Amino acid sequence: MNTFDFLLQGLSVALDPMILLYALIGVTLGTAVGVLPGIGPALTVALLLPVTYGLDPAGSLIMFAGIYYGGMYGGSTTSILLNTPGESASIVTALEGNKMARAGRGGPALATAAIGSFIAGLAATVLLAFVAPTVVKLALVFGPRDYFALMVLAFVTVSSAFGESARKGLISLFIGLALALVGIDQLTGQARLAYGVPQLLDGIEVTTLAVAMFAVGEALFVAGQRNAVDDEVIAVKGSVWMTARDWARSWKPWLRGTIIGFPIGAMPAGGADIATFLSYATEKKMSKHPEEFGNGAIEGVAGPEAANNASAAGTLVPLLTLGLPTTATAAIMLAGFQQFGLQPGPLLFATNPQLVWGLIASLLIANFMLLVLNLPLIGLWVRLLTIPRPWLYAGILVFATLGTIGANPSPVELSMLLIFGVMGYGMRLYGYPIAPVVVGLILGPMAEQQLRRALSISQGDLTTLVGSPVSATLLALSAIALIVPLILRARGKGAVLNQLASDED
Amino acid sequence: MSGSTPGTRRPDGATLVVAVILAVLAVVIWTDAARLPQAGGYAGVGPADVPRWIAVGLAGLSLWSAIEAFRSGKSEREPQNAGPVLWIVGGLAAQLALLTTVGFSIATGLLFAATARAFGKRNLLLTVPVGIAFALAVYLIFAGLLKLSLPAGPLEGLVWGLFRGTPG
Amino acid sequence: MKHTLFAGLIAAALAVPAYAEDYTIIAPAAPGGGWDQTARTMQEALQAEGISDTVQVQNVPGAGGTVGLAQFVASGQGKADQLIVGGYVMVGAILTNASPVSLADVTPIARLTGEYEAIVVPAASEIKDINGLIEALKADPGAVSWAGGSAGGADHIAVGLIAKAAGVDPTKINYIAYSGGGEALAAILGSQVTAGISSLGEFKAQADAGTLRILAVSSDERIEGVDAPTLKEAGLDVSMQNWRMVAAAPDITDEQKAAIAADIEKMAQSKTWQDALATKGWADTYLAGADFQAQLDKDIAAIETILKDIGLVK
Repeated sequence: MNTFDFLLQGLSVALDPMILLYALIGVTLGTAVGVLPGIGPALTVALLLPVTYGLDPAGSLIMFAGIYYGGMYGGSTTSILLNTPGESASIVTALEGNKMARAGRGGPALATAAIGSFIAGLAATVLLAFVAPTVVKLALVFGPRDYFALMVLAFVTVSSAFGESARKGLISLFIGLALALVGIDQLTGQARLAYGVPQLLDGIEVTTLAVAMFAVGEALFVAGQRNAVDDEVIAVKGSVWMTARDWARSWKPWLRGTIIGFPIGAMPAGGADIATFLSYATEKKMSKHPEEFGNGAIEGVAGPEAANNASAAGTLVPLLTLGLPTTATAAIMLAGFQQFGLQPGPLLFATNPQLVWGLIASLLIANFMLLVLNLPLIGLWVRLLTIPRPWLYAGILVFATLGTIGANPSPVELSMLLIFGVMGYGMRLYGYPIAPVVVGLILGPMAEQQLRRALSISQGDLTTLVGSPVSATLLALSAIALIVPLILRARGKGAVLNQLASDED
Repeated sequence: MSGSTPGTRRPDGATLVVAVILAVLAVVIWTDAARLPQAGGYAGVGPADVPRWIAVGLAGLSLWSAIEAFRSGKSEREPQNAGPVLWIVGGLAAQLALLTTVGFSIATGLLFAATARAFGKRNLLLTVPVGIAFALAVYLIFAGLLKLSLPAGPLEGLVWGLFRGTPG
Repeated sequence: MKHTLFAGLIAAALAVPAYAEDYTIIAPAAPGGGWDQTARTMQEALQAEGISDTVQVQNVPGAGGTVGLAQFVASGQGKADQLIVGGYVMVGAILTNASPVSLADVTPIARLTGEYEAIVVPAASEIKDINGLIEALKADPGAVSWAGGSAGGADHIAVGLIAKAAGVDPTKINYIAYSGGGEALAAILGSQVTAGISSLGEFKAQADAGTLRILAVSSDERIEGVDAPTLKEAGLDVSMQNWRMVAAAPDITDEQKAAIAADIEKMAQSKTWQDALATKGWADTYLAGADFQAQLDKDIAAIETILKDIGLVK
C-alpha cells in the first residue's frame, strides 16, 4: 500500500488552511478567466502561471491545480448560459445546455455540469493514481492506423448524432473539412488554399472558428430577430437545483462520460473534444428520451461534461508517466512543473514521489474546491441572463474579441472572426447545424494525417488499415454504426424521417 | 434524391444559393489541389488527394441541394431585422480597422457601443464612453496583470505613463 | 467640451517620451512555445538585472515565425528598442514558405541557447547502434521510417543530412512528420516507426529509464551524461545545433547595434539568465559578433542545400 500512503501523506499536506486558501484562490481565478469566451484552459493556465511563481512548491502546485480545473469548468458556464463555448471541448455542452438555459433550466444544467465534472474528475484522478502505468502501455499500442480507425468511428457516430436533416448535417461537416484544408500540409510542408497569405499558413484556429460561429453568430442571430429587444428574460423557471428526475437521468451519463473520457485523454493523439463528441453520440443512442436531444436533454450536458474532465485527468497519464505533453494545456503544465524542478518522465514516480502524490492530492482538493465554489454560485451565474441584453451581448463580444486578439493579434485573425461570425449567422438563419463545422475542422486534419502516416509506414499497403486488432475492431464498429440506421430507415422509419426533412426547409 | 418534380412549385432560393456556394467551393479546392505537386511519397496519398476527395463530396452535396431546392419548393422564414445585424458587423469591422492605430480600448469600446446600439441602447454619447472605459479596464487587467499582449494606442500609453508616475 | 478633453488626452499620450532603455521583444510564436519562453525569460532577466526598466513581449505567431519576422522587418526599420527572437527552424521556414523577408533583413545580435539532435530507437529494437541503422537505410530507405517534428523543421533537415552523408538519396527517406509535443515520442515508444529524431532533451528521460536507446547525437563532441557517439565518430560528416537567437531591427546604426549587443551580453552572463537556463534545461551556447554571423551564414547555406536535396524547396 505504498501508493496509498503517499496519497494520504499528500492529502494531509493539502489540508493545511493556507493550502486550502491557495486552492480557493486558484479555482476562483481559473473560473473567472476561463469563463471568458475564446479563452480556454490552455490560455488560462498560461496567463495565470506566473501568479503561482512566488509561492512555496506545495502552495504553488495546488494553486496551479485549482487554476487548471477552474479554467476547464469556466468554459462550460458560458457554453450553457450564453451559447458561447470558450474552447472546443465545451462545444457539445452548448448544444443541449443552452437549450436548457433558454427553457429556464440553466440552474440544473450548470449543476449537472459541475457535479458531473467533479465526479469524473474524482474518478479519473483516482484512476490516474492507481492504473496510470497500465493505461499508458495500452495507449502506446495505438499507432497511426488505429487513430485513423478511431477518427472514422468518431465521424460516423458524430454525423449521425447531429443532423435532423442528413443533407444539412453533411453540408456543415464538409464545410468544416474544407476549412481544415487551409494551411501547410503537415506531412509535406505544402501550402494549401493559403493564397500567399502568411497568416493562413498555420490553418484556421479552432477557437477562432468556434468563438466566431457560436458567440458572434449567436449575437447577430439574436439581434436580427424581430421583437428581440423586448423579449422577456427567462433566467430561472422552477428550481435552480436539480430535481430527483434530473439526478436519475444524470448519474449514468456521468459514469459513461468518465469511462469514455479517461482513456481517450490518455491517448497521445486523443483529446478532450473527441471524447465529448463520442459521449454525446453515446448518450443520444442510449437515452430513453432521444426526442429531447436538440431541445435540452440533460444527458447531453452530463455526459460530455464528465467526459471532458475525465479526459483532462487522462492527459496527465502520458504527461506524468512518460513526460509526453499531448495537449496544449499539458504542454503548458509541463512548463509549470519545471519551475518545481520536476522533470516529468518515466522515472518521475520513482524519483519524486512526494511531488507526484502531492500533485495528485492537489488535484483532488482543487476538484473539491471547484464544487464548493461553484454550486453556491450557480444562482449568481444564472443571473448573468438577467443583465439587460445590450450590455450582455456588448460584453460577450468584447470578451470574444479579447480572446482572439490575445492569442493572435493579427488583422487576418479578426477578419476570420467577422467572416465566420456572419457565416454562423447565415447557417443559423437557414437551419444548418453549427457543431459539425467545428467537428470537421478538428477531426479532418487528424484523420488525414493519421491515414497518410499509416500508409507511409506500410509503404502504401492499404491492408495495413485493418492490420491491427484495434483498427479492425474500430472500423467494424463504424461499419455497424453506419449500416444499422440505414436498415432501420429502409424498414419504414424512413417515411417519418423524410417527412421531417421536407418539413423543415 | 429522385422523384423531383420541377416546375410545379417555385424552387427554394436559399437552398439554391447553398448549392451554388458549395459548387464554387468544390471548384476552388479542386483548382488549388491541381497546383500541388503529386508528392505522395511512400504513402501513395499526397497533399492533393484528400482535397480532391473533399471537393468531390462538396460537388455531390451541391447537386443534392439543387435537387432538394426544386423538390421541396419555396419555404417561408421569419423576417429578420437587417439594421441591428449591420450595426454589429459594422462594430466588428471598425474594431478590426482601428485596432492597431487607436489601440485596444478605443477600438473595442466602439464595438461595445455598436453592439449595444443593435440591442436597443441608441444613445452613442453614453455607450461609447462606457464602452471605452469598460475596454480599458479589461485591458488593464489582461495586459497589465496577466501580460497578455494586446495592441496599445495613445490611451493605453497615457494610462501606463500615469502608472509609472511619469506623465507627459 | 468632450472633444477638447479627448484631444488633450491624445496630446498628453503622444508626449510621453520614449524610454531609451525600453525594449519590445517580438516572440514570433503563440504563448507557451519555445520562442515565447525565450522571449519571456529574456524579459525577466533584463528587468531583474536592471539592464532595462520595462520590457514588453509581443506575440506574433504564425508560419514558423515568418509572420512575426515580416511584421518586424516592416515596422521595426531603424528602431533600436525592438528585438525579435528566432532560431534554426525559422531559417527553414523562410525557405519552405518562400517568405519575402529573411534573416538578412534583420540585424542578428547573438545566439542564446541551443539543443543537439539525438537519433533513437525503442529499447526492444533490433538495431543496436548507428551503423546498424545506416546499414538498414542503405539496404532499403523506405523500410526505415523516421518519426520527428514538422516537415522541413530541424529534425527533418537532420535526417536529410544523415542520409546524404551516408550516400543515400535524401529524397528517398521515409520521414513521418508529427506536430511535436510528444506525439512523435509516443510513436517511437510504441514501436510504430523504426527510429526517432528530435532534440536530445525530449529523449533524455526515456533513455535514462531504459525505454529508448540513443544511437547518436549531432554535436561536435560527446555530451556529458549521454552514452552515445557523435555522428562524426560514426563516420557521418554531420554536426548541427538547433539554436535560438535574438536579432535587432534592420537599418540601425553601428552604435545602436553595439549598445544592444552589450545589453544582451550582460544579460547572458547574469545570474538570473544562467539560473533560468539551468531550471529549463537549456544549454548555454552563447555566441555573438563576427563568430555568430559566420556560423549563421554557414547554417543558412547548409539548410538551403539540404532542403533542396530533400525536395522541399525548389
